[in-house]
Amino acid sequence: MANIKLELVELRKEFGELIAVDDMSLACEEGETMALLGPSGCGKSTTLNMIVGLEAPTSGDILIDGQSVLQVPPGQRNVGLVFQDYAVFTHMNVRRNLEYGLRVRGMARADIDREVAKVATFLHLEHQLDYKPLELGASELQRVAIGRTLVTNPEILLLDEPLSNLEAEMRNQMRRELRRIQAETGQTIIYVTHDQIEALSLAHRIAVMDFGQLKQYDTAHNVYHYPDNTFVGSFLGNPPMNFVHGQFGHDGNRPVVAQNGSIIPVPAASAGAVSDGADVIVGMRPESMMLAEADDPEAFTASVIAVEPQGPETVLTARIGQSDLKLVVETGTQAHEGAEIAIRPDAELLALFDAASGVRFKA
Amino acid sequence: MVTKTANGGVPVRALQARARLFDPNDKRYIGILFITPVQLLLITMLIFPFGLEFFVALTEWQPTYGTSIWHAVGTVFSGDTELGLNYYYLVTDEPRFLEALGRTLAISVLSLCLEFVIGLGLATIFLKTFWGKRIWFTALLTPMMIMPVVVGYTWFMLFQYSGPVNQVLGWIGGTSAGADLQWLNNGVLAFFAVVITEVWHWTPLFFLILLSGLNAVPENPVRAATVLGASNWRIFWTVIMPNMRGVIIIAFVIRGMEVIKLFDEIYILTRGGPGTATETMSLYLYKLGFQDFRLAYAGSAGFIVLVITVVMINMMLKPIRYELLEKR
Ligand SMILES: Nc1ncnc2c1ncn2[C@@H]1O[C@H](COP(=O)(O)OP(=O)(O)O)[C@@H](O)[C@H]1O
Ligand SMILES: [Mg+2]
Repeated sequence: MANIKLELVELRKEFGELIAVDDMSLACEEGETMALLGPSGCGKSTTLNMIVGLEAPTSGDILIDGQSVLQVPPGQRNVGLVFQDYAVFTHMNVRRNLEYGLRVRGMARADIDREVAKVATFLHLEHQLDYKPLELGASELQRVAIGRTLVTNPEILLLDEPLSNLEAEMRNQMRRELRRIQAETGQTIIYVTHDQIEALSLAHRIAVMDFGQLKQYDTAHNVYHYPDNTFVGSFLGNPPMNFVHGQFGHDGNRPVVAQNGSIIPVPAASAGAVSDGADVIVGMRPESMMLAEADDPEAFTASVIAVEPQGPETVLTARIGQSDLKLVVETGTQAHEGAEIAIRPDAELLALFDAASGVRFKA
Repeated sequence: MVTKTANGGVPVRALQARARLFDPNDKRYIGILFITPVQLLLITMLIFPFGLEFFVALTEWQPTYGTSIWHAVGTVFSGDTELGLNYYYLVTDEPRFLEALGRTLAISVLSLCLEFVIGLGLATIFLKTFWGKRIWFTALLTPMMIMPVVVGYTWFMLFQYSGPVNQVLGWIGGTSAGADLQWLNNGVLAFFAVVITEVWHWTPLFFLILLSGLNAVPENPVRAATVLGASNWRIFWTVIMPNMRGVIIIAFVIRGMEVIKLFDEIYILTRGGPGTATETMSLYLYKLGFQDFRLAYAGSAGFIVLVITVVMINMMLKPIRYELLEKR
């Protein structure tokens, strides 16, 4: 592992009765982009505010380069925060906004001008320097907000839902822009979002949060393909992971999950130490299932209830027992409504969760 | 072909009612109908007296002359008298008028600045929580709810030679005897007594307006500045105050228009005295009109003050004119 830049240790924040962040522990490596992903209100902004020092944690610790920063005031942690609503200084022109942090630091005029020019060029704001924020569009405001922070050369850059106020077109453009910033500055970035696509496309690692709890923290690939629990499985992916409730058991020698007489064969590896008769949930990603021959021993049968072609791919909705599954297949695949099909899930990617806790069984 | 139409082929023109000169159902008239009473009211209540005053102020009419005001207005048009002499005398030959004008401005500027600074300080304190905040809030707002006359009497008592103000100042100075200050009989002290009374009375309004302004300052720019390392002092001047600009100007405009008219408190405290040491514009005009009965003359002075006030208030509003008028 490379240098650990930021570490949260059992970080907790309570607002009265409400536990906004629930004993969260994670470590973020230098130069990496970590996405903090979760639904609205799950405590993402609160976590950022604690890292930057605007909120004091109820308990726990925050380490930057191995040093606790809890006693360090917000302005001196060398952590930059870009607000969701940009929070640019509306009464100052772009230049004033960009140089604010440098003036605070008492930098010499000539140095300020040089740094501002540099960051303005980097963010394509050279021609907007004399404009007031009211005269700028959303994506320009966004860049001013990022530039105002970037110019102070923070060790960690925190971005709070940076794309959520932009329109779809701008969002794609800004996403490319962020990737460029990421690549060219080598910044350690913590990126808060409730949009899984953004997290998957920008982040090296993703921390998935729900109700203040860290649900999984892993590489983008692992979080997507090997969800630790049903929440992560359902929050990522579109359509999300399919879940089938059932009882674990054995059909002869092969481990299966049975529901109302339908059975889904599961790979032995995924079952681990699950005992027969346990209530489980089978999780299968829509694109990790394929149509199989009827006599395939690893396949199960389901009846097609809907066929929705979406260009090159088609989303099939199939029913097994009382559960509906969505699977993504190539358009042109032979399947029509009412047909019985055999589905073979990818043995590697099929997940078995405990029905009560939603936690994945580990081999 | 004509018979195929819905009305069986009757010529359309015959179906139409004869055009009326005024159709009460015509929607175009509704606006005018609603507006007219207000316009009439404005003309009778505002424009007419204002116009009358304007014309009379061009003459030297006094009720004691025994001629009617209509006659005086008539002379404006008949050319029987030299017009506008009042204005000439007031500006060139009436030190008392100019002094009152200067004094009013001095009292206004001094009071407003003090009210602003104290009100802002109090409002800043009220951003935090502290013990008894609600009670303090009510207590601090009370002075501005008291009638000016009562405020005048209260401070008239407080400023008596053997009154509480001198007594307290004496204690502060370490003597049991009161301080030897003739608050209401010494010209300079009386001027400050008036300012103190005015500040006590109206700081609450500044406090209230500035507190609501502070609360309306968007939170995130302040937090952004904090994260960028700015001190509270710097944040206050570079982020909070610029965001309060509109509110501050409005507070000054509202209070400015009021303080220029300052009358009742001074009338009770000093009657403008000693001598003319605390004679403000209002008191001067009052004396002109109701002691000397020089109504036209007082009117002229009033117009001069009006013009000055209008110009000044508009200058104060200038920085936020764009925001108020053009934006969206
Ligand atoms: N200052 C506060 N006082 C009380 N509750 C708060 C405060 N800030 C946030 N919360 C609550 O904490 C929870 C997490 O908020 P937040 O971190 O803003 O969520 P997110 O950014 O993930 O949408 C929410 O339920 C929110 O209502
Ligand atoms: Mg948030």
